[in-house]
Amino acid sequence: MIGEKIRCLLAMLGTDVHSKGIRTLAQLLRDRGVEVIYLGEHNTADGLINALIAEDADVVGLSYSTATYLHYTRDLLVKMKAAGVDDVPVMLGGLIHADDEPELREMGVKGIFGPGSSMTQIVAFLQDVTGKTLTAP
Amino acid sequence: MNAPPKPDETQRAADIAAHLEDVSVKLSRTATWSGIETQPSYGPEDIRDTDYARDLGNPGEYPYTRGAYSQMYRSRMWTLRNIVGYGSPEDTRDGIENAIRMGTAGINIVLDTLSQEAIDADHPVLSADAGQEGCSLPMVADFEILLKGIDVTRQDIAWHSTMMTYPMVVAMALRQGKDISKLQGSHMPDHLQLRLAGWSEAIVPAGLGHRTTVDCVEYSAKNSPKWALGCPQAYDIRERGMSAAGEIAIGMAIINQTFGDLIARGMHVDQVAPSMAWVSTSDIDFFEEIAKFRALRRVWARTMKERFGSVDARSQRLRLACHTSGRSLVYQQPLNNLSRAAVQTLAALLGGVQSVETCTYDEPICIPTEEARELATRTQQILANEIGAARTADPLGGSYYIEKLTNDVEAEALAMLAKIEGIGLIKAIEDGTIEGMMDEYNYRHQQELDSQQRIVVGVNKYLPKNSTLPKRFSLDPGRMTSHIQRFKERKAGRDMSVLRSKIDALYQVAHRRENSHQAMIDALVADGTTGEVWGTVRAANGLPYDPFRAIESPFQYPKP
Amino acid sequence: MSDAIADAVRRGELRSVARLITRIEAGDPTIAATLRDLHAAAGNTPIIGITGPPGAGKSTLVDQMLARYRANGERVAVLAVDPSSPFSGGAILGDRVRMNRHNTDRGVFIRSMAARGRLGGLAQAAADALVVLDAMGWDRILVETVGVGQNEIDVLRHADTVLIVQTPAGGDTVQAVKAGILEVGDLFVVNKADTGSADRTVSALREAIEFRTHALGADAWHPPVPKTAATDNQGIAELLTAIDAHRRHLQDHPEQLALRRRAQARARVTEHLAEILRSRYLQPTNRSERFEAIIDEVVARRCDPSSAAARLLHD
Repeated sequence: MIGEKIRCLLAMLGTDVHSKGIRTLAQLLRDRGVEVIYLGEHNTADGLINALIAEDADVVGLSYSTATYLHYTRDLLVKMKAAGVDDVPVMLGGLIHADDEPELREMGVKGIFGPGSSMTQIVAFLQDVTGKTLTAP
Repeated sequence: MNAPPKPDETQRAADIAAHLEDVSVKLSRTATWSGIETQPSYGPEDIRDTDYARDLGNPGEYPYTRGAYSQMYRSRMWTLRNIVGYGSPEDTRDGIENAIRMGTAGINIVLDTLSQEAIDADHPVLSADAGQEGCSLPMVADFEILLKGIDVTRQDIAWHSTMMTYPMVVAMALRQGKDISKLQGSHMPDHLQLRLAGWSEAIVPAGLGHRTTVDCVEYSAKNSPKWALGCPQAYDIRERGMSAAGEIAIGMAIINQTFGDLIARGMHVDQVAPSMAWVSTSDIDFFEEIAKFRALRRVWARTMKERFGSVDARSQRLRLACHTSGRSLVYQQPLNNLSRAAVQTLAALLGGVQSVETCTYDEPICIPTEEARELATRTQQILANEIGAARTADPLGGSYYIEKLTNDVEAEALAMLAKIEGIGLIKAIEDGTIEGMMDEYNYRHQQELDSQQRIVVGVNKYLPKNSTLPKRFSLDPGRMTSHIQRFKERKAGRDMSVLRSKIDALYQVAHRRENSHQAMIDALVADGTTGEVWGTVRAANGLPYDPFRAIESPFQYPKP
Repeated sequence: MSDAIADAVRRGELRSVARLITRIEAGDPTIAATLRDLHAAAGNTPIIGITGPPGAGKSTLVDQMLARYRANGERVAVLAVDPSSPFSGGAILGDRVRMNRHNTDRGVFIRSMAARGRLGGLAQAAADALVVLDAMGWDRILVETVGVGQNEIDVLRHADTVLIVQTPAGGDTVQAVKAGILEVGDLFVVNKADTGSADRTVSALREAIEFRTHALGADAWHPPVPKTAATDNQGIAELLTAIDAHRRHLQDHPEQLALRRRAQARARVTEHLAEILRSRYLQPTNRSERFEAIIDEVVARRCDPSSAAARLLHD
């Protein structure tokens, strides 16, 4: 449809304060034509899901710098299912250890962008899961 | 005419070219890591305007550019520090004892993110964070377990945290019947840097946070003059995304605001400044960091004397506590981080710091393992014993390059400081100006990485061929589970009537916007938890008791 | 027959609402019937518009207003409009960060909208989104924009009460007058009143308002200039009282309310008319042979541009 944009919700869960990566990602995605709904740090799964519903985001992006990502991601995915919004793909970035990728995939994470990931990979993922084309990739 | 090479020859030639490229060493950038452009060489004309007596002075003399002390490491060796903190108080106690066995001089304790944000370990949505990245210390009783047998009026413990730490330590000392005027140790009272480092307005509103900092410094200066203050905590600001000059600018803006407010409360700069040490980083650009430490001491000395009228040399002579940059360490081929941290530690020593903590090479991957900690200690011992880093004060002083870079960093810092103070520090934080400066820095940094204008080995060039990730630190979850269980039981067994009266008093004081430190300490002595005490201060300031809005206050507050 | 999506909106099904707003933003022509249905039922919810320069503290003010309204048991929807990047068409919609504490509250609905650089289309999309929220039966709707351009001012025309947020700094006041924003404001809020020369800003604004309203009759609304310190939660109760006073004023002066409603309706019809013309003639893909033939005549100077436009319209 004409005028369709990729709307991507970016957030952090729990008490992790290392948001410089996700703030930079927000700017880089904006530069590629994405509408970023930025929630910042200190979100709860419930709050994030309410925002996700109201914003009708196409994708959820989470960033982590602490080892709690397995716990928080699983909790979010379970609650997204309960809220009937588990059709919205979730991607992860930050300090994600390679050993944890299979477990994250199994719980339903669609994109994992750990250390060394490039913007090209993230943009390709966004276009792929949304079926929308970015005007300025 | 030569015959065209066969396909396999073409391939082999390409492989050799790629290999040569991969083992090449080249100049990929002429600007410093923060972006100051440099020349091929420097000479006397570049520092024509520098006057030795006015701008440099001997080590130990105003304006202390060349060092805080005349004999530097011959008279006072730097303190080798290791940060410890994970899991329950018992876990961290084990870590401290190991660190002491391995040769650390100072005990440095880091709190977990929940304790740092003044949220209780049993928070219904957040307890997974308890004991991660630091020690879980939600009430005074936990400090007592952690420090059993350690006398806080004799042993110097450096606390790597801001919120609630000082009142907690004072409360513990009071419960033990100690004289708090003899209290030893240090913490980092600067809330504005927390606000900027990602705690955000929801956890630490700039206005309330800053008032709490001023309250803490005032209370400490009046009641525990031996207690040292790591202020500003500029490390996290740099880690968040800021140039070397920006560290000086934002740090000095915080200092100027804090001292201005203390003076408005009737204090004198010389009552406070001698107990302060600047918490700094040593980032990856060797020469720029050395220049920064030197410029910083000069800016500090002049500010204390000229702006605040200091007459005490101890106020003007800045002491630096340094922690090498965690941000500069990378996940890819992590053993390279040993080289990075070694050079950063050397820069800190040549820059004349008073204490240095060397990051472990596995910091980007996990909580440091024992082996990684040991290697960090050995790095400093190699520098001290083999390299000769401790011999002579300010060994690079007088280098045309270092002196020019010192002047450049200082000039850029003063321009940024003027811009921030033109807006007003608190306003520049609240309206996002400073966050915008950090976003801009990180954005440019990333774009330069993407375009290879900036090379990080293993990240955007020279990708590792043979790299295995180190073993991850693993923590026995059993001790954390019983720690949280014990916390709940302790809460259930308290004398609520005493605590309630202390919480009421705290609410009243905080609501009147008076210094609430004594009231916070009283509530902590009465077994109030970190979440309850800070939550009460929040509520008294019109904020939700729990910033995550998952729990309500267990106390009844009077309607404002 | 009523429309299925409109029914879902009226039942308060949030995901349907959110998806409908997405389709409004994309300019989806297939939702015309839904919007027709919802329009018939809307018009009952007080809509409060909030604008001001970047950094004036609008989102923090909205956050504090939400807290007050919620404490009174009112259910509130927010439409937060942010500019898009003129270079990429992307946007960072960050207003929610300052309102995060309301995310877990089902009595609050916050939707972010990017301006997307649409010629006049922003006001239309925002107005349609407001109709959707209106039809859901919230107690209040707040619409926040960054007051920089005509686009944003056009959005504000759809509000019943418009707040212009300023900070104590001489420059801002002058800017507001220049931008013609003074004409649309019903209240002028001086935020961050705990810093700088708030009282000077207040009197400068009062003077400017007086200059505009002195010729109006005794019945006219005279915009008040309340002071707030949103980060410190100061002055919010007084602000809400002033907003209610404006609403009561309109209720007590039905002729002024009628004029306002009429102006809003006229603006909406005009926007749609402009949109029809734009899509018929101005988009390259919609240019017909007939259009190009008339352009040929203008190039050859057989027809002048004005007559050419008239001929195209009368075809």
